[in-house]
Amino acid sequence: MVIHCPDLIEEGSRGAELRTFAAVLAAVEELCPWVTPVRLGICTIPARGPSRLLGGEGAMLHALRAQLGAVALDATPQLGIAPGLFGAQLAAREGEMVDQDDLSSFLAPWPVSVLGRSELASVLPRIGVRTLGQFASLGHREVFARFGTDAAACHSAASGEVGELVGLRDAGIARRLAAVLGPVLPAAVQPSFYGGTGSAERRAANSATRLQQWLGPEAVVVARPQGGRNPSDQAELVPFGSWPVDGRSKAAPWPGQLPPPAPITVFGDPRVVEVFDSTAKVITVSRQGFLTAVPDHCAVEGGRLRRIASWAGPWPVAERWWVTPRRRVRLQVVTESGQAILLVFEQQQWWLEAVYD
Amino acid sequence: MWLLYERMFASVDRLETRPALDEHLISRIRPMVAPSARLLPVVEALQPLLPDGGLRRGSTTVVVAPPGHGGATLALTLLSAPSAAGHWCGVVGMGDPGITAMAELGVDLRRVVFVPTPGGKWAEVAGELIDGTDVILIRLGLPVPHAVARNLIAKARDRSAVLVILTATSGQWPIGGDVELSIPHAAWVGVNAGHGHLAGRRAAVSVIGRRGANQEHTATLWLPSASGDVTVAAAR
Repeated sequence: MVIHCPDLIEEGSRGAELRTFAAVLAAVEELCPWVTPVRLGICTIPARGPSRLLGGEGAMLHALRAQLGAVALDATPQLGIAPGLFGAQLAAREGEMVDQDDLSSFLAPWPVSVLGRSELASVLPRIGVRTLGQFASLGHREVFARFGTDAAACHSAASGEVGELVGLRDAGIARRLAAVLGPVLPAAVQPSFYGGTGSAERRAANSATRLQQWLGPEAVVVARPQGGRNPSDQAELVPFGSWPVDGRSKAAPWPGQLPPPAPITVFGDPRVVEVFDSTAKVITVSRQGFLTAVPDHCAVEGGRLRRIASWAGPWPVAERWWVTPRRRVRLQVVTESGQAILLVFEQQQWWLEAVYD
Repeated sequence: MWLLYERMFASVDRLETRPALDEHLISRIRPMVAPSARLLPVVEALQPLLPDGGLRRGSTTVVVAPPGHGGATLALTLLSAPSAAGHWCGVVGMGDPGITAMAELGVDLRRVVFVPTPGGKWAEVAGELIDGTDVILIRLGLPVPHAVARNLIAKARDRSAVLVILTATSGQWPIGGDVELSIPHAAWVGVNAGHGHLAGRRAAVSVIGRRGANQEHTATLWLPSASGDVTVAAAR
């Protein structure tokens, strides 16, 4: 999802737009920690996760509008959803929600000038190509042969095949935001990304930015520790160049956190596990938090059975009890082959949460 | 005109037939680099295992271990001291990396760039990261074609970067590393029939290297220890 603030696109000389934009980011971040500034006046949040959390896209738009209402802006921020940044920033200008199926028909009527290439914008209309739809109907190979690689990339964006386009992102926006906010910023966990000027840092940042242009922003990630209770909450991976606000500090007390060592692989999507006793009966957890039998073997996602050599737990972990009563029980298991895994019992089901590789 | 052309080549010929410089002189003309600058640091427990007590710039280290047997811990530990010393690191192909574990291992996460799921483009991604960072860890999924491996090794050598290859079987990486680490034996301690919690893994780590360490050498390490870092385990 793209949030587009029309009155912040043009930058004045005094940095007021940057400061207002930072306020927009801070307001959005209260709803969704994944806000990423794309360029001045434009930021993105992943539409899927937060919308599920807030009860659908409509509810999320409503919550965002309410949140943004608190920021003093001359023009109302526009919100739009579409697959890929190129489509989404156009959808935001119209306040539209565009599905994958409708993307090419949504893009078609826009003038070729929205590609941000002055040369194409002047040459294409002269050969009768005025809209993205007309441009997309040209053969990709012909566009490449006649106009070169960059135009071919524009062609892919115009046809909706690729969501990223070089030039959409301002690689220095996070640094400029940090610079204009100065000490008001909460301590960034990655100061070296945003404030520093070392050559090693620039080299790495250039490399990461090139990879993002190539693979998409979410493909290149960096860590942001946050000190949650589950292994997956203790730190999160955010797209490189994300807004450096650190919510919870690592030093915050989080009783119930597992003692070290922490697992090396923590699954974003836990896999289903079955745990059996020696008579091949499925083991669950009683209401009091005890195992119903002695674990003997287990199987991950219906895979081959692995004998359990030893285990520790179960430890009940009640978390976020002030929001929803969500009870989990954890079990550390060492298999006969010497692999250690972390299982969690939730919703009457065991899940493979992490692996100690 | 023709004459001039001929003369141009004549001069080239003369250049090529010039007597070669004395080897001793060449070594003095080359830019001097302090040996320590060619070496990236490693944590104390790994120093005795590596031929130079560190990671030689331009070299390739291969870590061979089946999944779940400590290979990821060992490979990531190689990033700890360099990242803490200010070197940037790239990690390719490690889906769902446990960031807390990496922090416990001493990796400075502020200088680590991850590309968890590069798909079929992993080699190009690694190539780009060789340009941008000093230590590049690649977790292999499939066997690597010889030419791809050769290109990456050459590029790492050219850019003075350190390549760390994590693989389940040594056959997946077709060219032997300058240093090859493996984990012939590992066992977790601390859990037992419902009691305790994982409190460390005692592992035998073996090294074979081309230079200075042709003899296989084994050390017993906590991989990781009860505090999550890698330390030398006392002999039992």
